[in-house]
Amino acid sequence: MSTALHELSATPAPTGAAVHRPRRRSRARRACAAALALLVGFALVGPLVLGDPAAQDLSRFLEPPSWGEPLGTDDYGRSVLTRLAHATRLSLVLAVLCVATALVLGATTGVLAAWRGGWVDAVLRGVSEIFVALPALLVVLLVAALASGGSLVAIYVGIALAQWVEYFRVVRARAGLVLGSPAVEAAGLLGLGRLHVVRRHLLPDLRPLLTTLASLGMVTSVLAMSTLGFVKVGLEPPRAELGLMITESFPFYDVAPWMVLGPVGVLFVLTVSLLGLRDGEDAA
Amino acid sequence: MSTRTPAPTGTTGRLRADLAATDVVVRHFGRTLVDVPRLHLQPHRPLTVVGESGSGKSLLAHALMGTLAPELEVTGAMRVGEASFDLADRRGRRRLWGRELALLPQEPVLALDPTMRVRQQVAEGAAGWPADRRGALRGADERLDGLGLAHAAGAYPHRLSGGMAQRVAYAAATIGGAHVLVVDEPSKALDRPAVDRLADLLLAHAAAGGLLLTITHDLRLARALGGDAWVMRDAAVVEAGPVEEVLERPSTDYARALTGADPARWSRRWPTVHPAGTGPSGPGVEPGVEPGVEPVVEGRDLRKAYGDQCLFAGLDVTIRAGERWALTGPSGAGKTTLGDVLLGLTPADGGRLRRADRAAGRLQKLYQDPALSFPRRVPVALSVDDTARRHGVDPARVAMLVEQVGLSPDLLGRRPDQVSGGELQRVAVVRAMLTRPVLLLADEATSRLDLLTQQVTVEALMGQVVEDGCGLIVVTHDEALAGALTEHRITLGDDPRR
Repeated sequence: MSTALHELSATPAPTGAAVHRPRRRSRARRACAAALALLVGFALVGPLVLGDPAAQDLSRFLEPPSWGEPLGTDDYGRSVLTRLAHATRLSLVLAVLCVATALVLGATTGVLAAWRGGWVDAVLRGVSEIFVALPALLVVLLVAALASGGSLVAIYVGIALAQWVEYFRVVRARAGLVLGSPAVEAAGLLGLGRLHVVRRHLLPDLRPLLTTLASLGMVTSVLAMSTLGFVKVGLEPPRAELGLMITESFPFYDVAPWMVLGPVGVLFVLTVSLLGLRDGEDAA
Repeated sequence: MSTRTPAPTGTTGRLRADLAATDVVVRHFGRTLVDVPRLHLQPHRPLTVVGESGSGKSLLAHALMGTLAPELEVTGAMRVGEASFDLADRRGRRRLWGRELALLPQEPVLALDPTMRVRQQVAEGAAGWPADRRGALRGADERLDGLGLAHAAGAYPHRLSGGMAQRVAYAAATIGGAHVLVVDEPSKALDRPAVDRLADLLLAHAAAGGLLLTITHDLRLARALGGDAWVMRDAAVVEAGPVEEVLERPSTDYARALTGADPARWSRRWPTVHPAGTGPSGPGVEPGVEPGVEPVVEGRDLRKAYGDQCLFAGLDVTIRAGERWALTGPSGAGKTTLGDVLLGLTPADGGRLRRADRAAGRLQKLYQDPALSFPRRVPVALSVDDTARRHGVDPARVAMLVEQVGLSPDLLGRRPDQVSGGELQRVAVVRAMLTRPVLLLADEATSRLDLLTQQVTVEALMGQVVEDGCGLIVVTHDEALAGALTEHRITLGDDPRR
C-alpha cells in the first residue's frame, strides 16, 4: 500500500515544486559563473599585461608578497603572478581543446554506433571497452612516453583519448533510446529524413547530457594535466604550468609558503566553479 | 496545519460507519480547483464522480486521502465514523492509510514497485507487517488466490498485464482491511473484460458494507457500480443524484453533453468514400472490385508470434483506399502489432505483404500517447513546420488545418509535455494529414482521453479523414467506438480466458 501512496503524492501537480527549486540553485550557479568568468579573464588578460613568465631576476630571490608582486617571486626571482596567469591560460586552453575533441569524437561515434548497430556498433564498443579497461592515466602516460619529451600535443592527445569513451558510452545509450522511440518512428513515417532526426530529436536530447559531461570533463582535464605536471611527466620545467608550479615550490615551502597558494587556489576555484555550474544542468 | 484534531479513538474496533466531508476546497495560487460543500458516503451506496479531465474530480479524492501535492492548498473537514479530521492537516490521516482509508491509484502499473515481487508487495499492507511476516504473506497469498492471481504471486510487476496489475493494486490496497476505498480512474487503458472484473471487485467491497468513492470518466463503469453519481465540472458538482437519473435523464446541459459523448450514443455517422463493401478477408472473397482501386495494403497468410505466444496466424487482410477498418480484441491480442505489420513498422514472421506504390511514404500512424510521438524537447510547431516543409505544404494549409481541428495557433509554441493529451493528438492529426496519407493507423489514439475530449478529437480526425478520402485503421478495445467509426472489422484473440 505504502508504495502506491508514495507514487501518487507526486502525480497531481508537480509544477509548483519545479518552480521553486531552480531559484535557490541559480544563486549558487551565478556565483560559480562569476568565479569562472574572473579566472578566464585573468587567464586572457593576465599574460598580455604581465609580461614574460620566464624573466628572471635572481636578486629578487623568494620575495614575499608585496604591492608590486602580489604573490611574491619564486626561487629564480620570477613573478609568481605572471607565471600563474600563463599557467591558468595553458590549463584552460588545453582543457577546452581536450574536451572538445573528446566530445566530438565520442558523440559522433556514439550516435553512429546507436544508429547503424551491427558490426559498426560491435567494433566501436570493443574499442571503447579497451579504453575503459586501461586506466586513464596509463593512456596519457603511454602517449606522453611515445611523444618527444614534454610536448603539448602528447598531453592533448592523451587526455582526449582517455576521455572520449565516456561520451561514447553515454551518447550511445541515450541515442539508442531516442532512436527507438515512437517519435523517431513517426518521423520516419512522415518522411522527415536523417537531418530532422539529428536536429530535432538527438541534439536537443543529448545537449544537456553533453554539457554536464563536458563541464565535468574540463575539471578532469585540468586536474589530469596538473597531476602529470606534478609527477613531472607532462610538461617540462621552464614552462609555467599549475602542477609544475606546485612541485617547484615544494622545496621552499618552509621559507616561502605563499608560492604554493596561487596554483592551488586556481585549481580549487576552477574545480568548484565548474562542478557548481554542472549542478544546475543536472535537472535535465 | 494549525488545528490539530484529536486522534480517532476507536482504533481497535473498525469504524464501521459513514464518511462525511464538508466544505472541501482545493486551491492553487488562488485558483479554485475543487469546491465541494458536502460529501456523504454511506455503506451500500457507492458514489461515482464523473467529469472531464481537469474538472477536479481526482483532486477531490486526493484531498480526502491527504495525498495532495504540497503546493495545493486545501481546507475543509472530514468525519469518518466518530473521528473527525481537518483536511488541511495532511499527516493526521496517514495512520488511517491502508487500515481505514485506501486508495486504488491511477495507472496501477506505475504505482507498483517494479523491484518487488507481487506477493511481498501485497503483504506489506497487511496489519501484521512486518512483525508477523509469515502471516502477512499467507494473507497476501489468500487475497491473490481469491482474485485469480495465485500464479502471478512470484512475478515482478512488469510481467503483469494492465488488468492483472489493477487487481494486484486492489489486493495491496485492501489487504489492510480498509473500510473506505477511494478509486481513482481505474479504467484508464484497460479493456472491457478487465474493467468488468474490476467493477465486480468494487461491488463486492460495497456489498460487504465498505464505503466506495470512484472517480472515473467511464460511464459504463459508473452504471455498473450503481448508487449515486456526481457530474463535476470546473471544480464544482453540477449534477448529483442516483446513477440512473444522472446518466439517463440528465437535467443540465453539461451532463447531457457528457453522457451524449459516449461513443455508443453518437448519432453522427461519417460518409464513406468507397461504399462498395469488400469482403473482410479470405482469399476467395473479392467481390465488387472497382477497376483502378487496387488494394492499398494486402496481406496474405500473415503470421506473428512473440516467443511461443502466437498473436495471429493465417490472417488475410485487404484494405482499399478510403476504407475504414477496426482492429479490436482484448489487451495483448496483438492489435497494435498487426497495425504495425500492415504499415511496415514491424516485420511479420510469415506470409506475403504487398503495399501499393502510391502508398509509399503515405502511411501514417497516430499513437496512444501523443506526447511520445513528438520530439520531446522542441516546440510542437517545429515538428509540424518540418513536416510541412518536407512535403511542400503551403503554410496557409497548415494554419487552415490547425483551425479545422479547433486548435489555437499559439498552442503550437509549446513543448509536447505542456500540451494536453487531447490537444496534442489533434496536432498529431494535423501533422499526419500534411503528407496527404492514403492510410492512417490510429493506435488507441483516444483511449486515454475522457469522453468529451475523445469526441472532439475523433471529430477532428474523422473530419480530415473524410475530406481527404484517406483510409483508416482504428486499433481499439472499445467496441462502441469501433462501431461508430468503421464499417469493417478484424477481431483478434477471441480467447475468453485472457
